[in-house]
Amino acid sequence: MIVAERLTKRYGSTTAVDDVSFTVRPGLVTGFLGPNGAGKSTTMRMIVGLDAPSAGSVTVGGRRYAQSRTPLTEVGVLLDAKAVHTGRSARAHLRAMAATHGIPNSRVDEVIALTGLESVARRRAGKFSLGMGQRLGIAAALLGDPGTLILDEPVNGLDPEGVRWVREFVRHLAREGRTVLLSSHLMSEMAQTADHVIVLGRGRVLADAPLGELVAAWTANEVVVRTPQPAELAASLQASGPSAGGPVAVESVADGTLRVTGLPAAAIGDLAAARGIALHELTPRTGSLEEAYMALTEGSVQYQSKEIA
Amino acid sequence: MTAAAPVDATVDAAAQRPARPASPYRLSFGRVVRSEWIKLLTLRSTWWSLGVTVALSLAISLMMASASRDFGGGLTPVMTIVMPMQFTMLVAGILGAIAVTGEYSTGMIRSTFTAEPRRGAVLGAKAIVVAVVMALATALTYLVAILLTAPILGGAGIDWSDAAQSWVPLGAGVFAMAMFALIGLGFGFIIRNGAGAIAATVGVLFVLPIVLNMFVFAGESWQWIVDLGQYLPMAAAQMATTPAGDDVLRGILTLAAWPAALLLGAWAALRTRDA
Repeated sequence: MIVAERLTKRYGSTTAVDDVSFTVRPGLVTGFLGPNGAGKSTTMRMIVGLDAPSAGSVTVGGRRYAQSRTPLTEVGVLLDAKAVHTGRSARAHLRAMAATHGIPNSRVDEVIALTGLESVARRRAGKFSLGMGQRLGIAAALLGDPGTLILDEPVNGLDPEGVRWVREFVRHLAREGRTVLLSSHLMSEMAQTADHVIVLGRGRVLADAPLGELVAAWTANEVVVRTPQPAELAASLQASGPSAGGPVAVESVADGTLRVTGLPAAAIGDLAAARGIALHELTPRTGSLEEAYMALTEGSVQYQSKEIA
Repeated sequence: MTAAAPVDATVDAAAQRPARPASPYRLSFGRVVRSEWIKLLTLRSTWWSLGVTVALSLAISLMMASASRDFGGGLTPVMTIVMPMQFTMLVAGILGAIAVTGEYSTGMIRSTFTAEPRRGAVLGAKAIVVAVVMALATALTYLVAILLTAPILGGAGIDWSDAAQSWVPLGAGVFAMAMFALIGLGFGFIIRNGAGAIAATVGVLFVLPIVLNMFVFAGESWQWIVDLGQYLPMAAAQMATTPAGDDVLRGILTLAAWPAALLLGAWAALRTRDA
């Protein structure tokens, strides 16, 4: 469990993280989203005590990270893949990290095998590709078998097989009851991995909600309808009045094609049948995390948080 | 990209682990020292620096021993072993500096401070390891140099019965080299940038003595600057290693004061700055 309370970080006159509060719960994968410069990395660095907050506090498992005498067994961190000396071999890097806690070399070899680094473990980390560097960073995070994992852009630079491996691995870790916080720029990847999403923008929390709720709140469920009588259908749809899905809006996108929001596909089909209007297509489209993210971080609603029930 | 472990096997292996038992692993200062020891000795730059120090030192000792008869009475035999320090001190300082700045330039320092959040412990462990490695390398160099120069010096070799002509200067030389490395280490933590830390180290060890000495020509009123030069690390090391010298203790104390002050400054910087 990670708890941030009114966390603030100022660099001179710029405020990188502005009065941020959130809780990252065990048993879930929590996604950390936001544009570049939104404060994700700064927040992650404050969680593990690399940066000191200007105000507020953040605790892991009820206390400040720096107070822990067993940090590697409590929190595994991948802040960026390049937090490794380029002149040292992968195995030597892991051995040195493990030595601080008396973690045996057998565990070092275990995490090397777990992350698929066996064949390159004795090569210097400076020669690694971005993907191998990510695997090494993940291996280091796993050394102490920690209950909390903080991974900043873990799939950055990984091949599709590696992306899938990270996704399944973090989901598995969360199922074991661990706390997982990960950031990513890949929305489709995040949509498949995260249970809960925290969106940051300009250092503030824009949204903090389960993935499904966030998408539902920030995207419109629309239905694409194709009919030979678009004008009549549009008129009767608009006449049907507001429904449970909010006000009904009909937009003509092409000749004979309408985009309807605010009504479920079934209701549109029933209405068309009742009026004797022929339908050639009736396709419900649900919003994506990416659309929700764009709506949150851009346009008129930019940088204003919205209450999610 | 290399072949990764098959996904299914990976997940299975993780699943077989028992559900979060209390971990037996924890931090201790001794373990952090061991970690720093592994770190220093698994870098090629360390071995290059030590190799250059040893080779340079041995070569100069051999040359001086060969020419010892022509130096006249001024050169005592133990000086052929200790004198190369005037050049190898630079490599010692640079070794200390890059032991730190290498971590900052590569980002390794963030891994270091997440493994041991108490930065003072990291500073202490690094200082111990760098000083011990430098001292061991110097002691080994002296041993080899003594063995190599003994046949050249012949009957005019080191008088081991007189500590002031043997053990004291040799011990002071080992100590001085460790202190030079710590001066570099201190600058490394304070400046963080490799080029900057090396420039500061070389400046204090090598350039400042020359600059201060120029004021010899400025006459009486500038003599205080020349006197100040006695408290620079290089002059202190010469005092400490002078066979049967009068100021051995003052040299040793001055030598120790430099790294002590710099490490204190480094500690203050670590406490207040973000990593």
